[in-house]
Amino acid sequence: MNDFLSLLPLLIISSGAIILMLLAAFEKSRLETASYLSMGFFAVAFFVQLLVGCGPTIVIFNNVFNGMLAASNFTQAASLIILACGFFTAMTTHSYFKVNHFSSLEFYAIMMFGACGMLLLTLSQELITSFIALEIMSLAIYVLVGYNRSNVKAAEAVLKYLMLGAFAGAFFTMGTALIYGGVKSTKFVEIGAFCAANSATAPLILGGTFFIFVALLFKAAAFPFHAWVVDVYDGASTPVTGFMATALKTAIFTVFANFLAQNSGLHGSWVTFLFYISVLTMFGGNLIAIGQSNLKRMLAASGIVHSGYLLIALVAISTEHFTGSVIAYYLAAYAAGTLGMFAALAYLGGEGEKRCTFDDFKGLAKVRPYSAAAITVFLLSMAGIPPTAGFMGKFYVITSAIAADHMALAILGIVSSILSMWYYLRLIINMYFHKTEDTFETKESVFATACTFILVFCVFAIGIYPIVI
Amino acid sequence: MEHTVSYLGFIPLLPLIGAVVIGLLHMFTCRKTPLPEIFYGVLACVGPVLSFLLALVVFFQLKGLPAEERFLTHNVFTWFAVGDLHVDMGFLADPLSSLMLLFVTFIGSLIHIYSVGYMAGDENFGKFFSYLNLFLGSMLILVLGSGPVVMFVGWEGVGLCSYLLISFYSKETDNVIAGNKAFIVNRIGDLGFVLGMAFLFWAIGDLGFDYLSLKANVASIPPGVGLAVCLLLFIGACGKSAQIPLYVWLPDAMAGPTPVSALIHAATMVTAGVYMVARFSFLYAHYPVAGSVVAWVGILTALLAAIFGMFQKDIKKILAYSTVSQLGYMFAGVGVAAYSAGIFHVFTHAFFKALLFLGAGSVIYALHHEQDIWKMGGLKDKLPKTYWTMIIGAFALSGCPPFSGFFSKDEILFSALASGHTGIWLIGVLVAGMTAYYTFRMIFLVFHGKPRVQESFDHAHEPPAVMTVPLIILAVGALFAGFLNLPGIFGGNLNVSHWLAPSLSELHPHVSFWVELLAITTSVVAFAIGITIAFKKFGQGATEPEFTGFAKFGYHKFYVDEIYNAVFVQPYKAFGSVISRFLEPNVTDSHVKLSVWLYQKAGAAFKVFQIGYVRVYAIYMVIGLSLMSLFLSQTIN
Repeated sequence: MNDFLSLLPLLIISSGAIILMLLAAFEKSRLETASYLSMGFFAVAFFVQLLVGCGPTIVIFNNVFNGMLAASNFTQAASLIILACGFFTAMTTHSYFKVNHFSSLEFYAIMMFGACGMLLLTLSQELITSFIALEIMSLAIYVLVGYNRSNVKAAEAVLKYLMLGAFAGAFFTMGTALIYGGVKSTKFVEIGAFCAANSATAPLILGGTFFIFVALLFKAAAFPFHAWVVDVYDGASTPVTGFMATALKTAIFTVFANFLAQNSGLHGSWVTFLFYISVLTMFGGNLIAIGQSNLKRMLAASGIVHSGYLLIALVAISTEHFTGSVIAYYLAAYAAGTLGMFAALAYLGGEGEKRCTFDDFKGLAKVRPYSAAAITVFLLSMAGIPPTAGFMGKFYVITSAIAADHMALAILGIVSSILSMWYYLRLIINMYFHKTEDTFETKESVFATACTFILVFCVFAIGIYPIVI
Repeated sequence: MEHTVSYLGFIPLLPLIGAVVIGLLHMFTCRKTPLPEIFYGVLACVGPVLSFLLALVVFFQLKGLPAEERFLTHNVFTWFAVGDLHVDMGFLADPLSSLMLLFVTFIGSLIHIYSVGYMAGDENFGKFFSYLNLFLGSMLILVLGSGPVVMFVGWEGVGLCSYLLISFYSKETDNVIAGNKAFIVNRIGDLGFVLGMAFLFWAIGDLGFDYLSLKANVASIPPGVGLAVCLLLFIGACGKSAQIPLYVWLPDAMAGPTPVSALIHAATMVTAGVYMVARFSFLYAHYPVAGSVVAWVGILTALLAAIFGMFQKDIKKILAYSTVSQLGYMFAGVGVAAYSAGIFHVFTHAFFKALLFLGAGSVIYALHHEQDIWKMGGLKDKLPKTYWTMIIGAFALSGCPPFSGFFSKDEILFSALASGHTGIWLIGVLVAGMTAYYTFRMIFLVFHGKPRVQESFDHAHEPPAVMTVPLIILAVGALFAGFLNLPGIFGGNLNVSHWLAPSLSELHPHVSFWVELLAITTSVVAFAIGITIAFKKFGQGATEPEFTGFAKFGYHKFYVDEIYNAVFVQPYKAFGSVISRFLEPNVTDSHVKLSVWLYQKAGAAFKVFQIGYVRVYAIYMVIGLSLMSLFLSQTIN
């Protein structure tokens, strides 16, 4: 029964996706109805997940899935974040598609399939399941990125993403094969047991985990596998970018943390490696971000920086001190800020996303003071200014690094946070201290606006009332 | 033994919700058709009134418990936990905070109701009530907080709201300057508070950072640190409660609407400092030296403010200085370790000072925003309700028996005498006489004699009931509140002191009947002398004098503002301009600009790698992979 309950959100979302697909096939409903339906499914799944809450115990699906899946507080938090991201993205797209007419009903179905993959990925405790989940998620995201077929940029983005994604996927399968060769199992637990009993530096294990890390770091947009992010985020339509930036990252980091947490021996030999990757990711991301003039590209690069922070928390992970709560909190804070930002961009961007550069937002505060204030809140949260959620997130990440005796990492994290002010404040300056050049007229966009302001509330609420799982 | 009650959090939450709701409504409607005022008025009063009812519930629940178990707590959530620092967003109601709660919510509610009448017709009606609710909510957080950190949230909240409300009429530059002054002076005090809190945490914070844990571990503080904490916290109290040398903001705070002055002076803000010292009485009780500093600063402030008060001509300024002076008494009380006496004076003062301010407000309202007492006179018959209620307030303020101010002030002076602080007692008696003098100088000039400006006198009329009813209620309080703590000499048994005893660490020295009688007699004599002089000089009508000599010096407040300006503000500005003109361009700028340039160039260099060809991106991956393999093989071998 517990097994079933823990799986219920996933079941709801997958059945929802199938229902939407059928509706689309029979052309029985309108686009708006589909968006309402998907909002509804996400909301229901969210509350079901909230109610299910399996407490401190960990549910391992031994009977049903032979231990390939497991739910814990951490995975539940992650799935809550993913479901919320889905809900808010559905809200944003509702408004976005009123202005940009290239959608069809399948959009929502595919988005929900993507969410299925993500939810499965958070639960997976085994490499092949992870791979399947990863691919379910990735396939859906590929389609979403290139959904606007008439747009060359989108086509370019999907091509790049698909090719590099396939490259990364190959690494994942290769790594799985090597590990299976070494351990004779693909379960995280058994890999951990093997590493505890034998050496974690056996060539097959080492090579295998190395390849798997490459694939995961690619999806998480860590340096030096980050290059695709900027172009893909730019090419995809704004709400899709928001969904990718938040939900996908949540899923990847959840499985990453699960994998490391089960393998303390494995983790020990990789700490130095992850240390350097996280530093490079933070600083590389910052350097890419300051050169951008397009907001979506800037946000993509800042997403790289945030991945760097999450990697800090991964470095600090250990069996005695599972930093899952820190990771989940940071992801929630990041998701609230980023989704809000993309929601605002979605409705302020206008037809064909005509407003998308720093210069386009000059003087926004005079014409749309509330929207400008909301964007400011999101930017401050991403930059880590109290009392927003982003501040608490960074705070927890840095304290977790200190607790794990990585003082250097903590200091570099703070330095990177200072560097990131550059591009966040640049937009704020443009909005507030420049003459208005645009009228910022937008078509009716109730849902995206509502989404923006709900998320402003969330940013403060998560910041003032930090829920530590 | 603690008792957990979950409704505690609602007491501050209700006004805060009100503030948010009213604020949002105002924000979204002020550009179009504003909502009707009565709508805002009702909405604004609901929160405070409900909070008051909850405060009553708290009080009676506490009363039902045995004296040593009177603690109601509610930890809403863990705010943050880092290493040893574990801070809960929690609330604590004990006898001390429940007493504060009662009068803060009661008087706060009355001021809200009065403001509905006073602010009628103002274009920013909604904004005003949003701030007012926020003010009250912050004060309630301050009072109810279960530890110094939560108290600090409220502490900063009231600071912010005082700034917003003092400069409420922001079209005039002077008001904005007054708001800035209040804010900046308070920041100085806040720094003291933060430092004190940090030292306290450093000393014993790892054993729990709420009052109950601190109280339990107070013995393990190193003596030097403890003294420093006491003095630093007192600096914070000086800022909020307007003591020497940080009192200068309070008289200028009169720039705000009159109900705001009443709120600042009676129910919120200035009482925070006294409350804080009493809250930390477990600490101050260990350091009599710190207590003496507090008491002497207090009594000297009382004297200084009383001197200034005697020469002012603005009705609100007189009252403002009287507040500073009375706050001095309160600090003298808590300084000589008579915490309950200090808090009791806070309590009675809240009634009569709110009454006097609201009364002054209705005079000002009736005379169309005239505040100069030399342009008033003879208003006794025009504004009978205001007159009679203000008379009660004036008697209470001057400490005439049996009005409330008499009992509380007398308790402080008597404690000073009993604890051997004769000097403080003597100055206290002198100030009592001066208080009677300047209070009745104001009353006589405003209400008695002949009207000095006929035209405004003719148009004067009693304000509406929504303003006079709160006055009457407060007058009843000002008249009878003193009887709650009737000392033994009058056949009472100090109910309030006994009620507060579990929260405070105070000693009750046993003293002879004759000392008590001496204290009371001198106070009454001082009052009588003061009022007689006032009557002689102003009772039959008087004209505005030309101030010369000492009086002129007093009228100009000893030129303290000018001295501060010359000694602190101007050198500070000069220092700033030296830095900005010489130090920054010549010394630091080059480094800063270099790092900015480097950062930009590095960014530009990185942009080159973002070339856009997918094959190049794949090559990056391969290169990264190769480097990582190299790194791995290096580390493993």
